[in-house]
Amino acid sequence: MTIFLQAGWGLFIGRFHPLLVHLPIGILIVAFLLEWLSRFRQLAVLGAAVLPTMVFGAISAVAACVAGYLLSLSGGYDEAALNLHMWMGIAVAVISILLCVFRKYNLFRKSWLPVSAAMIVALSVAGHYGGNLTHGEDYLTAAWPFGGKKAPTAAAFKNIDDAKVYEQLVQPILETKCYSCHNEQKLKGGLRLDGMANIRKGGENGPVLKDSIPEMSELYKRLVLPESDDHRMPPKGKPQLTPQDLEILYWWILQGAPDSITVKELHKTPRIQLVFEGMKPSGDGLHPYMPLTQTGKPGEQAVQALVQTGLKVMPVAADNGYVMVTAINAEKFGNADAKLLEPIGKQLVWLNLGGTATGDSALQIIAGLPVLTRLQLENTGVTDQGLQYLATAKQLKYLNLNNTKVTDKGLEFLQKQANLRELFLFGTGVSAAGIEKLRKALPDLDVDTGGYRMPVLATDTTIWRKNPA
Amino acid sequence: MIMAEKIIHEANDRAARFFSRRHFLQDCVTGLGGTALASMLGGCNLFSGSSSAPTQSLNPLEPRAPHFPARAKSVIYLHMAGAPSQLEMFDYKPELEKLHNQLCPQSILEGKKFAFIRGVPRMLGPQAVFKQHGESRAWVSDFMPHLAERVDDMSFLKAVQTDQFNHGPAQLFMHTGSARLGRPSTGAWVTWGLGSENSNLPGFVVLTSGGKTPDAGKSVWGSGFLPSVYQGVQCRSKGEPVLYLSDPEGINRDLRYQGIQAINEVNRLEYETFQDPEILSRISQYELAYKMQISVPGVMDINSEPAYIHELYGTEPGKESFANNCLLARKLVEKGVRFVQLFDWGWDAHGTDESTAVNFGMRNKCREIDKPISALLLDLKQRGLLDETLVVWGGEFGRTPMQENREGKEMPYMGRDHHVEAFTMWMAGAGIKRGGSWGETDEIGFSAVKGQVSVHDIHATILQQLGFDHEKMTYQFQGRPFRLTDVFGNPINEILG
Repeated sequence: MTIFLQAGWGLFIGRFHPLLVHLPIGILIVAFLLEWLSRFRQLAVLGAAVLPTMVFGAISAVAACVAGYLLSLSGGYDEAALNLHMWMGIAVAVISILLCVFRKYNLFRKSWLPVSAAMIVALSVAGHYGGNLTHGEDYLTAAWPFGGKKAPTAAAFKNIDDAKVYEQLVQPILETKCYSCHNEQKLKGGLRLDGMANIRKGGENGPVLKDSIPEMSELYKRLVLPESDDHRMPPKGKPQLTPQDLEILYWWILQGAPDSITVKELHKTPRIQLVFEGMKPSGDGLHPYMPLTQTGKPGEQAVQALVQTGLKVMPVAADNGYVMVTAINAEKFGNADAKLLEPIGKQLVWLNLGGTATGDSALQIIAGLPVLTRLQLENTGVTDQGLQYLATAKQLKYLNLNNTKVTDKGLEFLQKQANLRELFLFGTGVSAAGIEKLRKALPDLDVDTGGYRMPVLATDTTIWRKNPA
Repeated sequence: MIMAEKIIHEANDRAARFFSRRHFLQDCVTGLGGTALASMLGGCNLFSGSSSAPTQSLNPLEPRAPHFPARAKSVIYLHMAGAPSQLEMFDYKPELEKLHNQLCPQSILEGKKFAFIRGVPRMLGPQAVFKQHGESRAWVSDFMPHLAERVDDMSFLKAVQTDQFNHGPAQLFMHTGSARLGRPSTGAWVTWGLGSENSNLPGFVVLTSGGKTPDAGKSVWGSGFLPSVYQGVQCRSKGEPVLYLSDPEGINRDLRYQGIQAINEVNRLEYETFQDPEILSRISQYELAYKMQISVPGVMDINSEPAYIHELYGTEPGKESFANNCLLARKLVEKGVRFVQLFDWGWDAHGTDESTAVNFGMRNKCREIDKPISALLLDLKQRGLLDETLVVWGGEFGRTPMQENREGKEMPYMGRDHHVEAFTMWMAGAGIKRGGSWGETDEIGFSAVKGQVSVHDIHATILQQLGFDHEKMTYQFQGRPFRLTDVFGNPINEILG
């Protein structure tokens, strides 16, 4: 045995422990069941199978104990939990050997079943503590469906600026990716990462934090080693940190690894800024051209009337009632048809009438559509007169007037459109002065008058060759 | 008498077909497919159950709603087939310049496989001059002087990773999410999910330039296991835009219309009997083809564009060119086409000859795309389309920081081998952050060190901007639900504005 240990075989054999333990668990439970079932008259024949089963169980239990002992020599486990686990395991092995002997020589017949039952109890306790050592103490209890479930911490803050850096950003990463090997019971490398005090204490090789220098802190350094490196954490095959996780840890250490402090109290580097932006929830609600409230679906008849004119009425999303309407296949759509839009006014958010026969009078009706935020009127007969009607549509955010006859006079009607964010005026009669006036009234507005050109460069026509002709 | 016999024989034959094993099996399969399609159409169509529109639900290209309100209505995907060198375009590595011509350290090569490099190659410094541009201070080389002015409209992904180092599989992976044949392309998924806004044009159009189609073949715009109506329609910028679309000689448009009506009537009866979604595909393809006879020549004709636009893009009507395709892409998106896929062939800069040298051939390729892409971004912007059009640019992988030494022999020109571990892509428009950048490579541009993104992440992001949760967008096939992103992928929220 010592030869094996000296040759470094000990740890190798020890690592078979997690595999071997399952043999006695399975076999000894079967032995117990056979013992119990053989008490029933119809199943008495099973009694003959108990001894051979028990022998295999005892042998595997001894093997598991030996491997387990060798594994424990590698250290990094909570002493108390380990001792309990070890002695329970040994108890199982001893009891199973005793039972073999009793059976073989037909001793203490009456004790067979109760002793077997006691063995199963010891087996369960040993197994449970073994599981705790490997997966952490609350691995099982955390999944208990009836207890007070821990709310996911990420959702606890509405605004990233109010998030607590250690408690809400760093700790969840450590919890999911590090705790399983660095907890109260399984202290790999003598290191515990649960709790700020433990992190500061460090492991058997000294502290893991060098405040403000992530590159010199073991806690960060090991995370970015190549996966093939022996010191890499988490080790190959374990759940790895995401690039975002790494950025958060890096930034946190850079700030001196503080606790109980919020994001807004610390300096944000451009890179952490990017990560935080990525943590914003996606989807609904954030869409710049969507109302925040919900609505019901539009009436079928109203929709059909629009479809008859060649318009496409499309739901904006499967989960709400808002619709967009496009006239992409309805070039003839004109002023007389505009009133058909009124019945779906509560739902109509985006309207594309580009290239249609729409004129000013249609805008009298369109201006009254209460939730319309995006309106495309490019290549239509709309003029300044139409914009005067549109002045009441205060909720508009996007307005496309490319290739229409609007002029500076029309722009004046838009000056009170505080919600307007994008305005397109390519190919219109507006002047720079008119736009300047509007920009002053609406500083948040992006006005695009198009007509972009690119500089002519000599290299635009250069053919790159080894020997230029 | 003989005639009557023939008819009876045919009727019997037909009846027999109903009960053949093949049809029984086909019924089992397509019955399921039909149910899936029906539930999909029913689930997505806001007005399902409406008795007044029974024929509409038969149209597989009917517009449908995504999961949540979308930032993007359309996608223009610019694929540089052959894989451009990120080290001469966007990923500036001054350290690599210092190491130029030195032997590559063994530590980098250990355990790595390359498509062509064998033995110990030499390092190859960047062959372009880099400068920072725009408010975002993004590095762009002098190979792309016009695009350099547009960096504040774009977001770079500097650490994209793939796992395929040969063109065909890598292109398949990039467009279908799998390196093996049989999966639908991104454009097919999108068209299946959203339908087509314009009933006179296909939802998914493919335009190629550079003289060759991609190595992976037409599967990169195929429909895989989705009904074939969702595959990309390849249009040509030279000659007839769509082959075999015009009427044959002696057939006028009225006669063609009546012919198609009759064929579709028969097909409709056939569909009622067999419920095969492929029949619906066929019906709508006939109808679409008939409409396209009018609409396609119009939208595909760039002659009608003003001189100002031609000057901006550098287009030459009548030629097959990337510039023409960029202009066509804008026109198609303007007309409601969902997904426009451009392939530009000729980026495989190995350095085997002048045309594949990074400092000659590839620089010429850069010149060919520089103005057109910049013009496309500007043109979309001035038309108010950029905020609802997602523009994606990239290749199928990147290129090595080492000079290629094919089979141990040095190449006559400066060239780089295929590289999967880190390369650059960019996106613009449709809610993508202006002037953003995510991901970083090491100081020689070999490995990604921060912000790695996978091909699946790219797909998840495209789908998210179109309003889809990529994990919920599934199609039932061969007994299990399939996704574009398989079981992987996260939207890259870091580049969202």
